[in-house]
Amino acid sequence: MLRLRFHGRGGQGAKIASRILGTAAFFEGYYAQDFPLYGAERRGAPISAFTRISKEPILERGIIAEPDSVFVLDETLLDDPHAHPLSGLKEHGIVFVNTARSAVELKDTYKISVQVITLDITKISLKMLGKPILSALAGGIAARIVNLGEDSLKKSIEKELSEIITEKEFLLKNKEASQYCFHAIKPIEIKIAKGIHKANPVITVPFETALISSPTIYTTGNTPLRKTGNWRVFKPVWNYDICTKCMVCVVRCPDACISVNEDGYPYTDYDNCKGCMICVEECPVKAIEGMREAHAW
Amino acid sequence: MNITTIKSIKDIPQEENLSPGTPTCAGCGGLLSLRHCLKVLGEKIVVVNAAGCFTLLAVYPFTPFKSSWLYTAMACAPAGAQGIRDALDILIRKGRLDSKENLKVVVLTGDGVAYDIGLASTSGALYRNLDFYYICSDNEAYGNTGFQSSGATPFASKTGTTPIGRISPTGLELSKKNLFEIWRSHTPPYLATISPAHPVDLINKFKKAEQYKGPKLFINLSPCPAGWVTDPSHSAKFARLAVDTGIWALKEAIYGEVKHTVVPKSFKPVEEYLKGQGRFAHLFKPVRQEETLKRIQEMVDQYWDNVCSRESRKR
Ligand code: SF4
Ligand code: SF4
Ligand code: SF4
Repeated sequence: MLRLRFHGRGGQGAKIASRILGTAAFFEGYYAQDFPLYGAERRGAPISAFTRISKEPILERGIIAEPDSVFVLDETLLDDPHAHPLSGLKEHGIVFVNTARSAVELKDTYKISVQVITLDITKISLKMLGKPILSALAGGIAARIVNLGEDSLKKSIEKELSEIITEKEFLLKNKEASQYCFHAIKPIEIKIAKGIHKANPVITVPFETALISSPTIYTTGNTPLRKTGNWRVFKPVWNYDICTKCMVCVVRCPDACISVNEDGYPYTDYDNCKGCMICVEECPVKAIEGMREAHAW
Repeated sequence: MNITTIKSIKDIPQEENLSPGTPTCAGCGGLLSLRHCLKVLGEKIVVVNAAGCFTLLAVYPFTPFKSSWLYTAMACAPAGAQGIRDALDILIRKGRLDSKENLKVVVLTGDGVAYDIGLASTSGALYRNLDFYYICSDNEAYGNTGFQSSGATPFASKTGTTPIGRISPTGLELSKKNLFEIWRSHTPPYLATISPAHPVDLINKFKKAEQYKGPKLFINLSPCPAGWVTDPSHSAKFARLAVDTGIWALKEAIYGEVKHTVVPKSFKPVEEYLKGQGRFAHLFKPVRQEETLKRIQEMVDQYWDNVCSRESRKR
């Protein structure tokens, strides 16, 4: 049995990618299982999804703690203490990462010992679909990595996406983008091994009485510590030559990220700006620009 | 009481009582309004939060609030608020709490709670004239669990439980409950609708409400990128269009007397608001549903016709 895990951000398409993979495997005569796991957070927050593929009926249930391969739809997740995408990964496993950087660079930066494959699928998605929605693209990549055929992938995309996308043209674009990614990756063989990649062990919490373990927060306003800046694909960048200090952006930021400096010009807290781009959209003189960002920090 | 209202966005207080880094979606219109509400309410409050999207705000071990926060089940936030109010009153009366240390009690809910599950307990609190603030973040569905239809969902909206079918391509066939009027029939001292696109109006309404003892209620139309299927950057735009097309009337009612606070000089066609929202996409593609679009426009026109005749009668 192959056990696969997807890590993405809410709204990016990790859940649908795992579905596309599962359905493609099903079309090829395998037994398949796919399901997501959400945290208590929303669009932009780390989520994971799981797929099991097997020649035999699958009796195993629950989340996959020791995957054979993981697909990371956002490089910044590698550094996110809430996501831990590499935890439990088996030796000889394969990690796919959506990033503009090379596999060698990534292995170095994040001390990854297993095989890494990279491709900037956000860039491809922006170019081919016009938005950073990665479900079909990641589905294509996953199908290639686990060695499924192109036809099952096509059929699976048709089945899974036509339920969500009503616009024919957009569905077609998704199919094309998916094929493109499928062919951008060389076929590989996943060797299933017993050993486990050592990074990020799963922590077990000891039993404590309610007095200690009940979730009471005694501090105030500490959410900035939970940095949400890596949720974004684009970051707002201010051009003070044009800015009229009108305060519109300051008022319109849902996340209270924009402050005013000593000269009266607005600036944002990039550690927590989620990249909603409301400030960019609302600035009356277009003094803010949304810049594609490869890595958050 | 002397109320100092503000005139422009430059007068909006700088200090924030809601920290960044919350787990709500990027571009959440509800959060945008809440941020402004808290600027007026200040730090000396207790937030009583019924289950919903805003439950996510304080997820252990983090909280964005400078104040206390209590989490309740969906149905009972006003009951929780009553308990806190009573406790504060008793402590003050017994001299164990300085009346200067008094806290405002603020209930925070979504529309699922306000329009459906928690309506009874809210009615009870209004009936008992509980001294509290009530903010309903109305994104017109159960947003926290995947956008299922609620009593606040408008006619023709697509939701998780009102999908577009072959026989009935309309989406939801029922109309949004008129919560403003349900609440108004209890004649609370202060009741208002607010919008994240009109922060000056919003802030003035909270400042005005401060002078009344008893229930002070606010309904915020909260653009929700996840459920409305809109780009996060368009949350302010759709909030503004809702007001400009007349679909969301900005008004207040003081002891039941209604006054509209923002009236567009000329109304834009509702189509401009509906267009571009994924939850209404079926009204335009693959075929334009003329009948449905006409009906929505008529509902809006009828509302404003009534407003005009009522206000001209008064003159
Ligand atoms: S993109 Fe702009 S409006 Fe959105 S969170 Fe960042 S600073 Fe705030
Ligand atoms: S909205 Fe634009 S012009 Fe106004 S303060 Fe912000 S950046 Fe400057
Ligand atoms: S689902 Fe909608 S209302 Fe809820 S946090 Fe996300 S944007 Fe806000």
